Amino acid sequence: MSTERLQPFFAEKGWQPFDFQEETWNAYLTGKSGLLHAPTGLGKTLAVYLGPLAEKLPPTSGCQVLWLTPLRALAADTLRALREPLAVLAPGCEAEARTGDTPAALRARLRKKLPHTLVTTPESLSLMLTHADFSEKLSGLRCVIVDEWHELLGTKRGVQTELCLARLRSWFPAVRVWGLSATLGNLTEARHALLGSSFQDSVEVTADLHKTIVIETLIPREIERFPWAGHIGTRLANQVADEIEKANATLLFTNTRSQTEIWFQELLTLRPRWKDQIAMHHGSLDRAERDHAENGLRDGSLKCVVATSSLDLGVDFSPVDQVIQIGSPKGIARLLQRAGRSGHQPGSVSRIVCVPTHAFELVEFAAARDAALVRRIESRIPLEKPLDLLVQHLITCAIGSPFDPAAMRREVQSAHAFSSLTDLEWEWALGFISNGGSALAAYPHYQKARLENGCYTVDDKHLITRHRLSIGTISSDPAVSVRFANGHKLGTVEESFISKLKAGSLFVFAGRQLALIRFRDRIATVKPASRKGNGHVAIWGGNKMPLSSELSHAVALRLQGHGAASAEMLALEPILAIQRKWSRLPDDECLLVEHAHSREGEHLFLYPFAGHLVHEGLAALLAFRISRELGESIHTTQNDYGFSLTSKRGLILSEDHLRDYLSAEDLLDDLVACMNTAELARRQFREIARVSGLVLQTPPGQKDRSQRELQVSASLLYEVLDRYDPSNLLLSQSRREIMEKQLELTRLTAVIQRIESMKMHLVETENLTPMAFPLWADRLSATLPAGDAATRLEAMLRTLNQAAAQA
Amino acid sequence: MSRFQLTHSLALLPEGAAFLTDSSTLIVADVHLGKSAAFRAKGLPVPEGDSARDLGRLYDLAKKSDASHLVIAGDLFHSSTGITPELETALAGFISKIGIPVTLVAGNHDIKIPRLPADLRCVPLLDIAETLRVIHDPAHASGDRLHISGHWHPVVRIPDGKRTSLRLPCFLFRDNTLVLPAFGSFTGGAILDSNPDDRIFVALREQVVELPAALIF
Repeated sequence: MSTERLQPFFAEKGWQPFDFQEETWNAYLTGKSGLLHAPTGLGKTLAVYLGPLAEKLPPTSGCQVLWLTPLRALAADTLRALREPLAVLAPGCEAEARTGDTPAALRARLRKKLPHTLVTTPESLSLMLTHADFSEKLSGLRCVIVDEWHELLGTKRGVQTELCLARLRSWFPAVRVWGLSATLGNLTEARHALLGSSFQDSVEVTADLHKTIVIETLIPREIERFPWAGHIGTRLANQVADEIEKANATLLFTNTRSQTEIWFQELLTLRPRWKDQIAMHHGSLDRAERDHAENGLRDGSLKCVVATSSLDLGVDFSPVDQVIQIGSPKGIARLLQRAGRSGHQPGSVSRIVCVPTHAFELVEFAAARDAALVRRIESRIPLEKPLDLLVQHLITCAIGSPFDPAAMRREVQSAHAFSSLTDLEWEWALGFISNGGSALAAYPHYQKARLENGCYTVDDKHLITRHRLSIGTISSDPAVSVRFANGHKLGTVEESFISKLKAGSLFVFAGRQLALIRFRDRIATVKPASRKGNGHVAIWGGNKMPLSSELSHAVALRLQGHGAASAEMLALEPILAIQRKWSRLPDDECLLVEHAHSREGEHLFLYPFAGHLVHEGLAALLAFRISRELGESIHTTQNDYGFSLTSKRGLILSEDHLRDYLSAEDLLDDLVACMNTAELARRQFREIARVSGLVLQTPPGQKDRSQRELQVSASLLYEVLDRYDPSNLLLSQSRREIMEKQLELTRLTAVIQRIESMKMHLVETENLTPMAFPLWADRLSATLPAGDAATRLEAMLRTLNQAAAQA
Repeated sequence: MSRFQLTHSLALLPEGAAFLTDSSTLIVADVHLGKSAAFRAKGLPVPEGDSARDLGRLYDLAKKSDASHLVIAGDLFHSSTGITPELETALAGFISKIGIPVTLVAGNHDIKIPRLPADLRCVPLLDIAETLRVIHDPAHASGDRLHISGHWHPVVRIPDGKRTSLRLPCFLFRDNTLVLPAFGSFTGGAILDSNPDDRIFVALREQVVELPAALIF
């Protein structure tokens, strides 16, 4: 086998190839594409990259290997890892990275000549497709490698990758595509999504490297005094600081950006001398702030970095020897991914310490350990037919070179996401880019792509420039830049947060106590707070992730008494005993429903264990159906384990009634009626409008005067389309996406169907049980008010008048 | 239709217009005709319909209020790329059908258009009485008179629940200047940086109501 050609590299390093590496090289050399599933570490990079280097080929110039990475920040590290073997095995060949961060000079050089290996992102690859000579420059392409495919899967960026790969496959049918993925519940489907029509004949390679993962939990000393609800929970901060003290370098993961800010402040208060040894990292911090944290982890100069999922991925921080997870991990894959951030080298142990923020999270940790042991991991479901992305891609292709619609349709359908594209959808997409896309609505004088000799082409220079600027799928919220008066940028916060502050107000952001000087033109100028005080911690909207189905199921198993004895369950026993005594422990084989009275009236508590998004949908559905009969207004709350209904009267505990209310009949209509879906869809439309090119994205800080006349809000566009072109397929996509995103419609439907065949346990309780209490306590949390603007305004005016009358 | 009588001779209409009872003058601002056409001309697929609809609404309002003079306080048009032959025809039809004088107080969008279509009297500002002037940009208010203007597309945000708020186009009355909401249906708005002396009015169903300060602050 020609893998002998790789000998010099291994000899120089003094390494022995792993079995999975040889397996991957051999599969590659026999012309196969595939997916490599391996834990993090250097081994997998060499497994997929050395195949192309082992191939004996006549010397050709130009790009032979494309390496796609989901994260710009990973490009530099990847490049370093690829250059090592390249220098030994193919001296004289170059590897370069081309991402949004690439300096203009290098970008210009890469426009002229591509290196042997090019590291890039899906967005940059799309952008390169708009250059007419790109296919020529790639004519020597043999292999495309997609790193961290599990991160892209299930996102629009993943679909963008699929479409780019379809383009490359149609240019070079022999090109081999290899994906790298962490463990997923649906690896075969993941491979299918990556390879599309070339899935047949492909292989899956699993690196059976034994990676030991230790999941530990900080147990609260007095469980009875420990909060039953909440998610901030700095109660254990002292113990956490002790753990950090013991380790060399710690990565402390939280679930939200605000929580990161809170924990960072808490650690500073407990250990002021750590001031220069701890840093924080989240997605709204300025690049320089994040670089500071990343570099500090890499060179070992920091003791601890408090981070959100922004550090879940990629970059190798060898000095990190401990990972701490604050609060529920929400999913097993996520917990394993985070654990894997320590002990990054092959063969070493990954250790994660879990810190509960409320009592029931103890069960989650024990359950996550059970599930991790038997590798019961979440799946990532690939997206189907995001048409906003299709129309963007069609314009991208048309700019590159005119395309024949029939050939293009075959190409697009060779991508997994669009394999079931219908005639109607295809015709609409072609219409959208050329004449507006509707036979009924009028789009006079509109043209983007035009037909010439049967092919679609875009040749307007302004259109081309604008399209290139807007390629991509990530739509950023209109953010407010936070900076000091000298211009030093700290990051971004949301307008809704900063606009509530007045000049002089204190707030906490980027790990600092700040005072607002002024807020103008999307810039908040701040200074360090001179006085001590409790400033508001910056908050960001965005959805809290629901508990995954797999983890919920593992939790239910734990509550039924499965699994080995564990410190977590032992600690929680006093609370579980109360729950058992007053009611019973819920599980997911029968539905537990509790009924209780309080000063507020009657309460029903249901525990389907389906994650808070599904519970929000179910609660709204039941409230809608019950109040339709009862005429009483019903207040709802939910968490990851269950939901509650509260009403002045009339919530009876009857299985027949409950089954009626939980019926799958008219499910969708009732949900649409009760969830204010019109308002939600309007919000979801922003991303779709941006991706499909309906609104222009101006980079923050740049004011292009020529584009000012073309500024419009997505919600206004939604209204205009809804009024004049209601059959526009982007509108239905928006409604579909919001139902999935806001209430996990697929999961909700499955839960409703499961409940139909489940037994019910109805319990009348004297007191609020430990499971019910957090739901009751959460009754003040806000949900989207129902009703149109006029109804809401009338209600407010009425309340105000009543208050005035009583005063 | 229920009016809000701001002064004895100035009423606010729920359609987003002002009406001067002494002279039967109907005043609207920021219609932005041809805006969707301007988008299409730049390759953005926004369907047509807004301009015809807005002219229709304006016609109905003029008839319903029995106005004898229609004044547009600026930005009747969006941009020259939006002025299509179809729009010119529709506008000519509108003016001949409405049968009352139509005056345009030129707005910042209008003055960039080389040739204005149809029989429009176009003026930089309009003095309706000694103490009442119509302008486009509230910043150009001068002297001790009442001004009626547009330009800002004022929108008020009313907090409603913990993390939600309503966003409604509104009339703003500040420093003896009335700022009208944008009349066009394809126009956005800017959230007011309101101060405690402002009076803010919104349309609620068929009437205009003044918002109590407690709802905004």
